[in-house]
Amino acid sequence: MAVFKILLINGLVIGAIYGLIALGYSLVYRASGLMSFVQGDMVTIGAYLGITFYRVLGLPFAISFVLTFACAFGFGMLLERGVIRVLLSRNVIPIYIVLATIAIQYIIQNTAQAFYGSVTQRFPSVFPNKTTLTVLGVTAQTEAYLALVVSIILMILLHFFMTKTKFGTAMRGSAMDAMAAESVGINTSLSTGVTWGLSAGIASLAGMLLGPMYGVYTTLGATIGRKGFAGAVVGGYGNMYGAMVGGLLLGLVETFVSGYWSGTYKNMVAYIILLLFLLVKPTGIFNESAIQDV
Amino acid sequence: MAENISKAEMNAELETDKAIAAEAAAQAAGGHNVDDEKKHPVVLETHGVTIQFGGLTAVDHASIKVRKGRITALIGPNGAGKTTLFNAVSGVYIPTSGEVLLNGEHLEGKRGFQINEAGISRTYQVINLFRSMTVLENVMVGMHTRLKSNFFSDLFNTKKRREEDAEAREKAHEWLKFVGLDEFANAPAGSLSYGKQRLLEIVRGLASDPQVILLDEPAAGMNSTEKLELDALLKQILNMGYTILIVEHDMKLIMNISDYIYVLYHGALLAEGTPEEIQANPDVIAAYLGGEDDVI
Amino acid sequence: MKMNSKKLLPIIIGAVVLLVLPFLAQMITGNDYWVLILCTMLIYVIAVSGLDILFGYSGQISLGHASFYVIAAYTTGLLNNYFNIPLIITIPCGAIFAAILGAALAYPASRLKFHFLSLATVAFGEITYYFLYTSPGGFTNDYKGINIRTISFLGGSYTRWYFWLLLWAIVFVVAKIFIVNSRTGRAFIAIRENTHAADGMGVNVQKYKILAFAISAFYVGFAGTMYAHLYKYISPETARQKQSVLFLTMMLFGGSGSIVGSMIGVVIIEILLELIRPLQEYQMLLYGILLLIVIIALPGGIVGGVRDVMADRAKRKLQKEEEGGAQNG
Repeated sequence: MAVFKILLINGLVIGAIYGLIALGYSLVYRASGLMSFVQGDMVTIGAYLGITFYRVLGLPFAISFVLTFACAFGFGMLLERGVIRVLLSRNVIPIYIVLATIAIQYIIQNTAQAFYGSVTQRFPSVFPNKTTLTVLGVTAQTEAYLALVVSIILMILLHFFMTKTKFGTAMRGSAMDAMAAESVGINTSLSTGVTWGLSAGIASLAGMLLGPMYGVYTTLGATIGRKGFAGAVVGGYGNMYGAMVGGLLLGLVETFVSGYWSGTYKNMVAYIILLLFLLVKPTGIFNESAIQDV
Repeated sequence: MAENISKAEMNAELETDKAIAAEAAAQAAGGHNVDDEKKHPVVLETHGVTIQFGGLTAVDHASIKVRKGRITALIGPNGAGKTTLFNAVSGVYIPTSGEVLLNGEHLEGKRGFQINEAGISRTYQVINLFRSMTVLENVMVGMHTRLKSNFFSDLFNTKKRREEDAEAREKAHEWLKFVGLDEFANAPAGSLSYGKQRLLEIVRGLASDPQVILLDEPAAGMNSTEKLELDALLKQILNMGYTILIVEHDMKLIMNISDYIYVLYHGALLAEGTPEEIQANPDVIAAYLGGEDDVI
Repeated sequence: MKMNSKKLLPIIIGAVVLLVLPFLAQMITGNDYWVLILCTMLIYVIAVSGLDILFGYSGQISLGHASFYVIAAYTTGLLNNYFNIPLIITIPCGAIFAAILGAALAYPASRLKFHFLSLATVAFGEITYYFLYTSPGGFTNDYKGINIRTISFLGGSYTRWYFWLLLWAIVFVVAKIFIVNSRTGRAFIAIRENTHAADGMGVNVQKYKILAFAISAFYVGFAGTMYAHLYKYISPETARQKQSVLFLTMMLFGGSGSIVGSMIGVVIIEILLELIRPLQEYQMLLYGILLLIVIIALPGGIVGGVRDVMADRAKRKLQKEEEGGAQNG
């Protein structure tokens, strides 16, 4: 039972992180009908920005958190404005846009390496005075609980932002039918940009939450990003709530497999689940029909 | 254009001329439809085809007959379900209920490529050419189901394959000559003018030697000279022995070339008959006047 | 195809260059290293030509082709190591096994939209990697990789290997020429250009998509077996995205949907990689930048760029002639 509880908490923590990334994928897909490989690397960027603000500049964690989000948000918007939109306006074939995001992915990874080297960087503890915490009899790193709580808060905030605020409604509207949205006076260009910014921002926060637990290295986000994508597919690609559920589910399955069976198959399980869903049930748990070709 | 038509086509033309003469004689003798139906048996027919999207009925129990060697037209105001019915016949949609029969063989539920294989070819309302392939290659893709070479004969470039390929190339050139596009044979299809792209779509469809060719608004975007040429071309195609089912908005063209017309209105069949009968049908006139666009 | 003397001359020159190249490399550098690089290039020509059949002709993307490369390499290596089956049997077995896996993956995956297809192939690559890395019972020797025998009659001579690989590169490239210029190839291109219309013209889209996947996996698989026997070693690391993206970058940089494009891409990028070898950790940065250049500035790759320039020149020449004609008249 004790093992089960520990695995449950660990699974929920990593699952919540996958859920955040998956959310980003779904938001971008809703807004632009595209898949961005950069999504995962925003985790890396977030983690390195976190190190820069928190460790190098010595700012308080909360302020570093906000600054990281702001920088990543700007980067996401810039990516959409500077690259994606330019390519779309030139009518390049869609595959090229996906490849462009792969290219940017490599550039990000190598730039991070140029600044911080290829060794794993330490992300200093957020709670130096209380490094572990016991909840319901499970003792874990305090940051693990922080990650879980913050992820859930972020998901709830995002839900209210998208459904209850005027801007969120505008974003959903322009994602559904850009022309109709334009005609009722919504600035679709702005809302597309904000969507990319938002999904980049969320991913960067995931990086900051992961940093203290995993350490920070250049390919941190690439792996996490693929798992997040898997979560989005499992939930039903393009569905916000599906992304959260899919991410959580994947995190739990992965953790239990490595806990009860073997850690070596942890990564393989995630990819097998992804492949199975893509090939057998591409519409995911929430039956979203975005994936199949006609 | 006449000099471009091959000998076989000339013969076909002669045959049909004879047939028309015979028909005229029969009609003069008073023996009306019986002979006509023998000479022009039903090739393609739909029985009560219904197509629903969600709760919306796009086509409602449409039954039409397409006779061999004839031009059958499908008309109706925008949104009447003409293209939807076309798509059901050519396998893009699977009918919710009803039957599609080609020479008595069931086609409903078959995929697009199988229906082409069975003998129905088509053109598209929005031009759907293989834009960066050459004009000639487009026609050769049209012959896909009629060519016998397979992957292994292609891989080893066998003599048989080369011969078949050369023959197909020759034939494709003939088709291009037929519509006056041979000088553009090696140009990318996307570089042709709009009207020429429409012509290319028609010969690409004919290249599979179909039993019925479906033409979806072939005159859309053509100027009046091009429309006249199209009028003549369709008659030539008919004379070569082909059967045409056409959806078109240009009433002048339709009334001029069609042998038989079906009128769709809100997905259901409103009227059918010869051009004269349709033009005199009060329901049709009301539908069009009450409708939003074309007037007869 | 008829050969006139104008076409024959460049072919003869090309043949002579290809024949003396390894000796030239040896003479200039005084060692075998560049002959080995030439061998690698020939292997990559086969792999990239295969990938091009998939992407450049049938319009499907794969970011996991390195897994076919590695799977075939392991197949030939393990069959030979464990059961002593002669290489003449294990090499085709490797390539055929890759083709079968390719078809099996493509069967359901061919219905996916392109970016999901790309992710499915990434997942396939990662699964291959993790499987080889921690195989049941360790039969793949896990992360350490396996040592593989060389092809005996080639011995350790890179020059012999060069001619052996040159022969196979020619066979595979000629086969590609045959395939893409046939009914099969037209069906591939039609699917790339307009899937909807291809279906309407009687092309069985799913069948040809699967066929393209199998063919390209066969090409890449064969290249993988050659790589394994040449370097006498293969490890799971090669199955990762890096190798797949290398193939993709070569193909796109040279120009996709083209016979010579694949070759040009291989040669230029392989040389570039050799030049930046001291900065090996920035290899991926190079791929990133090259890919961006292709996507933003040179969408048709080098071949496409040259074609555009030539078309432009021909157009201008035509215009000039017309103007000249008008003046004369």
